[in-house]
Amino acid sequence: MSYQNTEIAKAAEVLKKRLNELENKSDIIKDNELKALYARIPMLPDGERAAFGKEINTLKAELLELAGQDDEPHKKLEPIDVTAPFDINTEPDKRPRLLASDLGSKHPITSEIEILSDIAMRMGMEVVKSRQIDDDWHMFTSLNFPEEHPARDDYDTFITTEGLIAPAHTSTMQNRIISARKDRLATGQAISVLVPDRVFRNEDLDARHEHTFHQHEGVYVGTGVHVGQLLATLKTFLQEYFGKSLEIKTQPFYFPFTEPSFEFAVSCPFCSKQGCRVCGEGWIEILGCGLIHPNVLKMAGVDPTIYTGFAWGGGVERLVMIKHNIDDVRYFMSGKLDFLRQFA
Amino acid sequence: MKVSLNWIKEFTTVNIPVDELVRKIGAQLGAVEETVDLEKKYQGIVITKVVSCAPHPNADKLQVCTIDDGGITPDVKRDKNGHVQVVCGAPNVAAGMLVAWLPPGATVPSSYGKDPFVLESREIRGVVSNGMLASASELALSDDHSGILELDSGGAKPGDDFAQLYKLDDHIIDIENKMFTHRPDLFGILGIAREIAGIQHRPFKSPDWHVEKPKFLSAEPKVGQLRLMGERPEQVPRFMAAVLTDVEIKPSPIWLQSWLSRTGIRPINNVVDITNYVMYLTAQPLHAFDYEKVKAASGADGVVIGPRLAKKGEKLKLLSGKEIELDEQDIVIATDKNAVALAGVMGGTDTEVDENTRSIILECANFDMYAVRRTAMRHGLFTDAVTRFTKGQSPLQNDRVMKFAIELLKDIAGAEEQLVLDTDNHGVLRPAVAVHVTDDFINARLGLTLSVKEMAHLLENVEFEVAINGPTLVVTPPFWRTDIEIREDMVEEIGRLYGYDNLPLELPKRDLTPPPKNPMIELKDNMRSTLSSAGANELLTYSFVHGNLLEKTGQNKGQAFQLSNALSPDLQYYRLSMTPSLLDKVHPNIKAGYGEFAIYEIGTVHNRAEKDDEGLPKEFDRLAVVFTADEKVAKAKYTGAAYYEAQRYLTLLFDKLGIGRHSLAPGLPEGGDLIDALASPYDTTRSATVKIGLSDSKKVTIGIIGEFKPAVQKALKLPYYSAGFELDISAISIARSRAKESTYKELSKFPKTEQDISLKVPADLAYSDLLSHINKVVDEIKPRETVTDITPVDIYQNESDTKHKHITLRLSIVSYERTLTDKEVNSLLEETAQAAKKKFGAARL
Repeated sequence: MSYQNTEIAKAAEVLKKRLNELENKSDIIKDNELKALYARIPMLPDGERAAFGKEINTLKAELLELAGQDDEPHKKLEPIDVTAPFDINTEPDKRPRLLASDLGSKHPITSEIEILSDIAMRMGMEVVKSRQIDDDWHMFTSLNFPEEHPARDDYDTFITTEGLIAPAHTSTMQNRIISARKDRLATGQAISVLVPDRVFRNEDLDARHEHTFHQHEGVYVGTGVHVGQLLATLKTFLQEYFGKSLEIKTQPFYFPFTEPSFEFAVSCPFCSKQGCRVCGEGWIEILGCGLIHPNVLKMAGVDPTIYTGFAWGGGVERLVMIKHNIDDVRYFMSGKLDFLRQFA
Repeated sequence: MKVSLNWIKEFTTVNIPVDELVRKIGAQLGAVEETVDLEKKYQGIVITKVVSCAPHPNADKLQVCTIDDGGITPDVKRDKNGHVQVVCGAPNVAAGMLVAWLPPGATVPSSYGKDPFVLESREIRGVVSNGMLASASELALSDDHSGILELDSGGAKPGDDFAQLYKLDDHIIDIENKMFTHRPDLFGILGIAREIAGIQHRPFKSPDWHVEKPKFLSAEPKVGQLRLMGERPEQVPRFMAAVLTDVEIKPSPIWLQSWLSRTGIRPINNVVDITNYVMYLTAQPLHAFDYEKVKAASGADGVVIGPRLAKKGEKLKLLSGKEIELDEQDIVIATDKNAVALAGVMGGTDTEVDENTRSIILECANFDMYAVRRTAMRHGLFTDAVTRFTKGQSPLQNDRVMKFAIELLKDIAGAEEQLVLDTDNHGVLRPAVAVHVTDDFINARLGLTLSVKEMAHLLENVEFEVAINGPTLVVTPPFWRTDIEIREDMVEEIGRLYGYDNLPLELPKRDLTPPPKNPMIELKDNMRSTLSSAGANELLTYSFVHGNLLEKTGQNKGQAFQLSNALSPDLQYYRLSMTPSLLDKVHPNIKAGYGEFAIYEIGTVHNRAEKDDEGLPKEFDRLAVVFTADEKVAKAKYTGAAYYEAQRYLTLLFDKLGIGRHSLAPGLPEGGDLIDALASPYDTTRSATVKIGLSDSKKVTIGIIGEFKPAVQKALKLPYYSAGFELDISAISIARSRAKESTYKELSKFPKTEQDISLKVPADLAYSDLLSHINKVVDEIKPRETVTDITPVDIYQNESDTKHKHITLRLSIVSYERTLTDKEVNSLLEETAQAAKKKFGAARL
């Protein structure tokens, strides 16, 4: 940039040199050399003022740009009347309008949660949300994980600097759910809740692993609740979900918060157990479940000699991936319209 | 846990097909990850005797051998004696040796399942070799490839099947460890065998050595003196040490190497192999020290060993070669001078058993599972011993396992038992406590009607002691079942052994009381439906953000909850508001070719300043929407500020959700940290605070709408035509629950009249102020029994007069009583204009 006015051209050289030495580059506009130029304006004859002032502004803009403090990266935002329905002087056909309805989409995960919640509600369950920060007590202790028990190793939890936890399962809500509804039990009503929400595991990302994903958690407490009821409920729930009759299979498992505990599988709804791309060998492992451990009931203020219950927890992403044949779990949180608009 | 079926069969009968067994294991014990059929791996390998060896005519290092296979192999060329010619490069090959021969057609076991190498008859430097003689490494038994494996089994003769002799006609069933977290006994073959008997409804009998209290030599030895350290930490319930002399270190017999290699353990030497074998069988880890090395590491008072807590700054070089600095909470095995092993985890290199070892100290101890776990985590050491100790092994098994290992060392390594020391276990080793449980308790939880007798049988099969007392079962667990504590444990045990697949399925009964609905979830579903039907796309982003994003949007990192252990730097902080996460997704989609779009997310935010009733971080449910159009689209489609596009979506949302009474106040909302963070990305000149009226007098701030600061636009590469809003959902939910009355207006039988009014007003007059004043005036002066509606038609500004603007409104009015005359409507508008003139200086045009 060259300046017509020699005074300004000289100052520009000095200022650019100083700019290089400055630690905080934006301080350059506070430089006395620049202030002195501005101070000259009122002293100039009428005819010269405008041109001089314009050149100083150009210099200032150049300095700011050099300092990386571009004053006006975009159009300067002029004030508008935010209470008006449209801007001044807009033709009717240029006024704000909604995008075409067919472009809109819901996220496949929240859609699936709506579907699962709808089934649960029809089966008589309440739907409750989970938390995104919780304490160790709810995440582990209230679920009968002894301090430092190796079972805690199975959960790679995110921990905050205060020692709070990003819940690694929706079971973090079990204690709250049961204790808030325990009075209902005395009236002969069961506690029957579904918690579909976000959970977190401190894992590296790849096509099959996400650190942020969604679970659906079922909690049922009442009198005379037994394993046969758990299995029947899950079978009914999943048959309704897949829209077909299914066979079920359990495998003993270990969770500290259920006793006994199971992994639960259904016959593949896509190949009728023949073996296919989705299931491999005819079965889809779909969730973990069990009878709620008496210590968990006790900690929620429920007498486990009178009441029993069951709980389950399963992944939502898996269901959506199976349904739409999605091969990479990372798409869900990618925010890519290429992905999202396919669910319009 | 890799389980050899042949090993299981040493302890119990399995007379169901492997497939059926695997299915039963899956259903009643734990998930099977994989089953490997070893029969195919070792198919066709024949035991042969080397008859003659002669130097290869064309190669120095090769020998031409003839072997005797008992004449059983078909289709192979034989000499006149019926022997087969094989070229062999092993230095140890000699006439008379019994070796494993891989005839043409056999696969080299070490290549099985990878890149299979199938043998044939082919010339090696001009001499035909029919297959090959195999080393231990080629047979996948150990790493030893120094020569061919000389078979050590006396009973074998040429022509016998190699696989059968060493029990390699096996199936390896890999059962997932995870379900054994509470079952210390299932980390040993013996425990698995017991369960396999149990699920076949077959009684199991543990070998005598495992149940009978062993006797050890008690006489003071002449050689191999050893003392235990006087005190032990409470984290060590039991510590046993044995001295064995005259040990001959050498490779283990092939049968032993065969067990180990099948289950994935590398054979090393007979002593180490025996400790591993016994551990794999019983789940009790053992460790062997070189006696002389321990002696050298002891002080002047003789050889001393025992457990203690490590000292601060103490160092230990482990068998892995790694030197670690110990923590005061680590348990170590030490002499009176130095630590020599990390208890329950790994031995030390200074006392390692090597080829020169002649005497050993064998340790068989019990450590607190939590202490071992802490140590393993602290030093990042996860060994087979750690896996087992952290499940809570029973200290009652130490003496039996010690005895069994000593007997093996005597047999296999020629060892002499000198001395076995045990801690004083008085008051430490408690017998198992019986669980009392009724048949009703069990049946009610399984939905079954089993008798006490049927239940007792199931339990007795796996060696529980059961006494029946009327409807009550008094169940005493065997010592290895440290997991049995409460009645519910018996529910699991009986249910599993009975078979959960056999339970009758029955849905819980309920009455017709509807479950309470969740208004927040209903509201969110509504928002999603409304926005998506207006062309917006819902996306989900992480609850955590990189610190850079907070900085770029002007938020204060200090307000955000920070993760201390995230693997990725993208996940440093919990988000303070939703808008930055959405803005972060704008540029990538513009780049992907989307000219305009509206994206939204419903999510949760936190702020360190906000706690809830539980004292935990308060969770705020938010909806954020961002509309954007690139320059090309914006210029072609819109004039005016992008703000109004965001406002269009906001208005739609409130209309559809039935929350009519909202207002927009110019400028950013003010409040504490939470609101500051919310407002941070928005530019004050083009933003408004969104408020809703909970009543006529009470308005609450529920969010913000606006365009973004130039610095934010630049940092996130946003098109200039971008705007958005963010709202607090629970406030909306409250407003919605109160906005109950219907807005329906009765239809009139008379025609509706419409007339426009244009007013010249000061440029800085807010449209809403004008509109609400006019609404108020019209309400006051309109004829009775009429309904009015005022809508905007135009807002115009003449370039030459930027001090004013013209606002044109359309009044629509209808009466329930009569047809209104033009004159009436005119005068109504004129009066309205007068009122506007008085209030705002407006001139009617």
